[in-house]
Amino acid sequence: MTEILKISGLEKSYKDNKAVDGISFDAYKGEILCILGPNGAGKSTTINMLTGALGCDGGEIRSSFSGGQDIHKDLDAYKRRLGIVPQDLAIYEDLTAAQNVLFFASLYGLKGAELKQLCDYALEFVGLMDKAKDKVKTFSGGMKRRLNIACAIAHRPELLIMDEPTVGIDPQSRNHILESIKRLRNEGMTIIYTTHYMEEVEEISTRIIIVDHGKIIATGTNDELKESIEAEKLTFIEASDLDTFDADVLYRIEGVKHVETKGGRLEVSSIRSIENLDRIIAMLIEHGKKISSVATQVISLETVFLNLTGRSLRD
Amino acid sequence: MYQFRRILKMDLMNLFTNPMWWIGTIGLPLFLALIMGFITNGTYGNVVTSYDYYGVSMLVFGALNNATLAANSFLESRIVKANMRLCTAPVPSFFIYFPKVIASFIFGVFCHTLTGLALHFIVGVDFGGNNAVFLWLLLLAVNFFAVSISVMLCCLLKNEETVNQILSSLVMIACLLGGAFFPLKGLGRIADAASNISPVMWINAAAFQAIYNDNLFLLGCVCAGLIALGMLWIGISSKCFNREDYL
Repeated sequence: MTEILKISGLEKSYKDNKAVDGISFDAYKGEILCILGPNGAGKSTTINMLTGALGCDGGEIRSSFSGGQDIHKDLDAYKRRLGIVPQDLAIYEDLTAAQNVLFFASLYGLKGAELKQLCDYALEFVGLMDKAKDKVKTFSGGMKRRLNIACAIAHRPELLIMDEPTVGIDPQSRNHILESIKRLRNEGMTIIYTTHYMEEVEEISTRIIIVDHGKIIATGTNDELKESIEAEKLTFIEASDLDTFDADVLYRIEGVKHVETKGGRLEVSSIRSIENLDRIIAMLIEHGKKISSVATQVISLETVFLNLTGRSLRD
Repeated sequence: MYQFRRILKMDLMNLFTNPMWWIGTIGLPLFLALIMGFITNGTYGNVVTSYDYYGVSMLVFGALNNATLAANSFLESRIVKANMRLCTAPVPSFFIYFPKVIASFIFGVFCHTLTGLALHFIVGVDFGGNNAVFLWLLLLAVNFFAVSISVMLCCLLKNEETVNQILSSLVMIACLLGGAFFPLKGLGRIADAASNISPVMWINAAAFQAIYNDNLFLLGCVCAGLIALGMLWIGISSKCFNREDYL
């Protein structure tokens, strides 16, 4: 794999608040690297530093686009091969879709027939070719989001940085955007994608970095991250009169690590390798409880995050 | 320079396609000059009519108000997010703020020229015959001064609302003291002294000396001063502009 970015010890503070605290990772050609974390985790600050628009307090960003040197030594060379989809809609609402794409692509030095051709490609790619001459203010939220992407890819960047590009849009537009990202990757583009939607990460990522409080708390593929917490399994049991049940008796069963009664149901955490569900059910029956449902938890990235931080992604 | 021309063209489009700027830049000084001229008609004498006086002073007021135009082209919510994309593009910082100075200047001068022509043809405002061209140069200098101080404040304060509030207040105070709405000269020593500290008084005096005395000395000095200050404001902008502030 060809390394295109090498980030080491990145730091950024705003007054007393350390937004990014020693983040280090690499990005390789052709991957969709997802940065997952709750709001305020430091994702956007990291992204802004990766674009070169925001300076770092510490650490460095080396890129093959700037000859393996720190990007700030030849920032323009680095920026020319970079596409950026900001979290906000960075488009002129009073202009047409085509005028927007033509303008932003021209900032990368494109002109004439090449500029026109690449803009048509970008609008076609995001499915807005038939709306090219329409003013952006007449577009739906999803269409504006797609135009935001077109403005970032018209100059055919090698690295596309996307900061929460699906915020506040309908599921259909979201699917269109996620499919587009997969197509861009198939065309050889490298994508760094930040979000707090774990479903998106599960769908498109080739590698995931989980950040919280400005630090990387886990990294790996979707499967690797899930495997890392699969040492334990969680079983949910709904039964009658759980209020009067002394849950501590379940600790006598081999493999049971933690028991909690929550919202009228029992949550039992056990060592995955030990099969003990039959004994848990037998114990409940023995105590006169009538079981109405039993479910085991499917491991998701939300579970991974919860397991690593003790809180939900949306907290 | 290709990217610079593209950004300048976009800044001009953003100004020329907004009807509110047309109304504010042409309509306001024209309306004020006509109203004030009509209300005070006959009180200024026959050589210099009230329309002559307010025709010039309201053009100066309009040119100074051009400062808010530059602030809006820099930080207005309608375009500030899109301007943010300029900060991540491979263009020098100078390409981000300087086209806004030029675009606001061109738009302001274009509008004020139209206003001046309208005043001349509607109520016969006297702009000094052959000296009208020097008056026009004075108008350019005032516009340049106004847009450059505005962009400098945008670079320093990073907030359109604050910049607009400061500029509107400064322009209004300078115009009141400078006698743009009613002459302060002759209202006593304190009023005279207060009037003398206003740049508007000197700009108006330079304009009237050129029109009625055929004397261009003060106009030349005022133009040179305004251009020098404008260049100073741009120099400060280049030192203070920071892309990070627009992310």
